[in-house]
Amino acid sequence: MSLRSGRYLKRGALWVLLAAAVVFYGFPYVYLVLTSFKSPGAALEIPPQVWPSHFTFANYSSVLSQPGIVKAFVNSIVIAVLATAIAVALAVPAAYGVVRYRTRAGRVFVTGALVVRMVPAIAIGVPFVGLMARLHLTDTQLGVALAHITIALPLSIWLMSSFFEATPMELEESARIDGCSRLGALARVIVPITSGGIAVTAVFAFLASWNDFLFALLLTAQRSETVPVMIGNFQTEYGNEWASMTALAVLYSLPVVVATLLFQRKIVSGLTLGAVKG
Amino acid sequence: MVAIETDQSTLVSARLPVARGRRRRQLQDRQYALLLMLPAAVVLAVLVGWPLVELVKDSLYSGGLLTGQHFAGLSNYKAALTSGEVQASAGRTGLYALIVLPVELIVGFAMALLFKTLGDRARVLRTVFIYPLLIAPLVAGLLWQYMLAANYGILNQLLASIGILHGDNSILWLGDPTIALLAVAIPDIWLTTSFVTLVLFAGLQALPADVYEAAKIDGAGPWQAFLRITVPLLRPVIAVVLVIRLVDAMSAFAVILIETQGGPQQASTTMGLEIYNTFITYGNTGLAAAISVLFMAAMMIIAFIALKTIWRPGGVTR
Repeated sequence: MSLRSGRYLKRGALWVLLAAAVVFYGFPYVYLVLTSFKSPGAALEIPPQVWPSHFTFANYSSVLSQPGIVKAFVNSIVIAVLATAIAVALAVPAAYGVVRYRTRAGRVFVTGALVVRMVPAIAIGVPFVGLMARLHLTDTQLGVALAHITIALPLSIWLMSSFFEATPMELEESARIDGCSRLGALARVIVPITSGGIAVTAVFAFLASWNDFLFALLLTAQRSETVPVMIGNFQTEYGNEWASMTALAVLYSLPVVVATLLFQRKIVSGLTLGAVKG
Repeated sequence: MVAIETDQSTLVSARLPVARGRRRRQLQDRQYALLLMLPAAVVLAVLVGWPLVELVKDSLYSGGLLTGQHFAGLSNYKAALTSGEVQASAGRTGLYALIVLPVELIVGFAMALLFKTLGDRARVLRTVFIYPLLIAPLVAGLLWQYMLAANYGILNQLLASIGILHGDNSILWLGDPTIALLAVAIPDIWLTTSFVTLVLFAGLQALPADVYEAAKIDGAGPWQAFLRITVPLLRPVIAVVLVIRLVDAMSAFAVILIETQGGPQQASTTMGLEIYNTFITYGNTGLAAAISVLFMAAMMIIAFIALKTIWRPGGVTR
């Protein structure tokens, strides 16, 4: 009896520990959201209050009336969609080729993708500025998207390889026996069964582009400025306007929240398979 | 188009005598696999290889766009290696990794074990815990800059309320050169401990349960089981996590730029910011390129050594 209650006590302690860790972990983001609903003065109150004394949407309307905000969001979306589409379209057949046929070239290819993952972004970013100028792609959405592919493509190859590893390849064999061509079997059998994995890969490729600050900072000026660059400029100009800044940050992280809610369980597995941070 | 043509000839070859047909088929499988990888490989080679070639080329020239470039041999490398500023940045980069990695690994591992022990009932909390991973580093930098502010920041307020700070005392987290590097490391720890937890948790899930049963029968305690079974079995996973985190920590950029711009008095200028400043602020492309090449080479060597030693030290078999 005492042994059993001791075990319950230990379990309880572990749950308390976990809950504390999660609260500690989740708090900063909750605080960000709460601050975005405070009045500009309340956000700078000393000592700070966690809960807003009254909620206001004023920060959101002031941020949304900033010139260039809509354009920045459009730029971020266009760039991320471009980078995602190209990365996923290239990664799906490549990863399939690696996993299905297990050739030496495939192993070299996957290792190469991992090595690319290890190259610091700044080392690609610095020469990219000159290259984009030479290709007349300076300050264009395509220029930034190309840079983002250097992050999104290796990530997509790794994720898709892991998803294909978990896919029974016999299905392809039987499709072939039924008279499907190799490419036909890939398009009509393999792609549909791995569509969940492809969706998760697309989400991560999108996030890699959406969350990038370094490349966007180096490669954009006015025309193709993305949301992170705008937030950076906003901070330089209005350093102390925390209420507006937090509202902007919340708006910017909205797609992440939506993606997390939509793909919750799959994202966890995707995160585990690939190294996500860029 | 090409792929479809190869495919039809495969069908023809399938009717040939078995031995020959299989050999031809295998060869064509290999070619087909190569064909599938080719577009991605070409795009990666162009988008990564070309800039890196340009980077090395840039590093051999001096002068900017205005003054005109001229060949400078290895003088940029000499300048980079002898620059006190670059050396200091390299030191800070190493120190930053030394602050960030142990915390992330220990806390991350502890959390993974906790999730493993509590099982599936902790799934919702697990999702909350991974959430920071999806947040942009930029937002994390902003958020923590706000929370670390000396006067209206909530962290100092918290420290005051539990009695660590007294009266009007406050810690200048981001304004004091002696602790700025530590302060910019906090968002990084917040952002990426979840990553360590997640990968190690997945690794723990894959460990065979019967080994633990056997150890329990042999009288091993939980601590012993952890040291003798969990750690050795998870070695490859730990190696991957460590190397990825090491590489990412050393190239930290967005969080630091937003929080301190590398200040005060360059106390938080790590290599990423050093290169950025040399390139953007001083417009010295050649020097920035030379520092980048050295930085990248150092990072690759460190990553390689780390992988080699941690993954399979002295060829220990699993």
